[in-house]
Amino acid sequence: MRRLLIASIATAVVSSAVLAQEVRLPLKEGSIRFAVIGDSGTGDGHQLRVGKQLAAQRARVPFDLVLMTGDNLYGMERARDYEKKFTIPYKPLLDAGVKFYASLGNHDDTNQRLYKPFNMGGERYYTFKPDRSSVRFFALDSNYIDDKQIAWLEKELAASGSDWKVMFFHHPLYSSGGTHGSADLQREKLEPIFVKHGVNLVIAGHEHFYERVKPQKGIAYFTLGSSAKLRKGDLKRSALTEKGWDDGYGFMLMEIAGDDLYFEVLSDTAQLIDSGVVHRTGKVAPTPGRSSQPVVATKPASVP
Amino acid sequence: MAARYLFNAFVLASSCITADSLAAGPMQHATQSPAVAPQPVKKNDAPVNADAAALADFKKRVDDYVALHRRVAKRVPPLKETNNPAEITHAQAALEQALSAARATAKPGDLFTPAVRTAFRKVLIPEMKGEDGHDTKAVMKDDAPTTVPLKVNAKYPESATRPTVPAAVLMNLPKLPEEVEYRFIEKHLILLDAEAGMVIDFIPNAIK
Repeated sequence: MRRLLIASIATAVVSSAVLAQEVRLPLKEGSIRFAVIGDSGTGDGHQLRVGKQLAAQRARVPFDLVLMTGDNLYGMERARDYEKKFTIPYKPLLDAGVKFYASLGNHDDTNQRLYKPFNMGGERYYTFKPDRSSVRFFALDSNYIDDKQIAWLEKELAASGSDWKVMFFHHPLYSSGGTHGSADLQREKLEPIFVKHGVNLVIAGHEHFYERVKPQKGIAYFTLGSSAKLRKGDLKRSALTEKGWDDGYGFMLMEIAGDDLYFEVLSDTAQLIDSGVVHRTGKVAPTPGRSSQPVVATKPASVP
Repeated sequence: MAARYLFNAFVLASSCITADSLAAGPMQHATQSPAVAPQPVKKNDAPVNADAAALADFKKRVDDYVALHRRVAKRVPPLKETNNPAEITHAQAALEQALSAARATAKPGDLFTPAVRTAFRKVLIPEMKGEDGHDTKAVMKDDAPTTVPLKVNAKYPESATRPTVPAAVLMNLPKLPEEVEYRFIEKHLILLDAEAGMVIDFIPNAIK
């Protein structure tokens, strides 16, 4: 018991320590690397600068896919808007064969699902697993969570075995945002399923800032909705907040290698905003308050 | 919340019960107690209540609309996966125009009849009360557009947001086929053809 207590205190100290530590992606052989952008579709200079920085960072961190957390196209959605708000800002990445995987935000027409470069397979919600990886991604439509989507999610998660389970969608289930805050109603429906099936990582947008939330029930939560929109001062740091930034535009780079997920959050000027590593520990007994598959926690990185 | 859910579940489940299924005989119960044994239902008994009948009628009207949608969709360029976004916008506009023409005489209340509106309000209004209701309304207000015309066959404005429909509300409303969605525009509920981007019908002041 005493040893457990000491270990818990040590873990807490260590978890805090990781915040101050600069951890860069280790670029391990056979790892899965991806970028994340959110609330990106303005077509303005901020989106262009983030797009340019993303492309520049790819020279350092080769990644093959980009997750989009929604609000992919603000305003009109004519053919020229797809160009202005998507293909032009990310042209170097698209030309290099990087695949974008979109989820729908509240500013998105559901027919975006038919746009092939968004890789949604014609569906509002979908799942995919990169070749030779142990990571399965799930894009949800958090605007419209009906029985059918819930049944689909249950089925797909149940079939996903011991893979890393990464969810991405628009509304953050936990957030310290002053404008929106936590999406409680979506959380009520989704979190029990995430916990039951051992989801490891949830990435959302909607809030126009960056926030890394303390792991909740064994699940890591990131919010990134500042790839073209920004609400300065809207992050009301709370007990949820592990790290936050509402002072500029940015994106995330992530790498999953074995049981570790490494992350970097970068600004459009390549400033490192946050970095660290999330570690999956072994299986645990399922409880309502804790993920039934590997628990997620931050720990100091043993990276070069 | 639980009581509300049970009420809603009862109303919605009841809407699936037809006079024929009632006439088929008593349902099987686990208990064998003669004191609670169900009595056979007479052949011409009406559906269990007016709300259930209204919701069953609504389902039929939605099915009829979707059948029309599918017929019309065969006559216009298909909405299919493409690299060319112009094909998406062109196909969506063509579908919207063809549907609008095919139901030129449609009017408010064709799907949301007065009885259906009453039944929907009975489901929706309790969802807006209390602390949970406060959260629900906050979600619906969040980024809700104000420029969507409350008009049958109106085109949903391209630049308008698609307001989030709270999952708890959605799960208490009758289920819809893929082509059709519920959306709340302020206090009003619209039935939206999601593929065509067109207002099919609406309930003004569906919530308070």
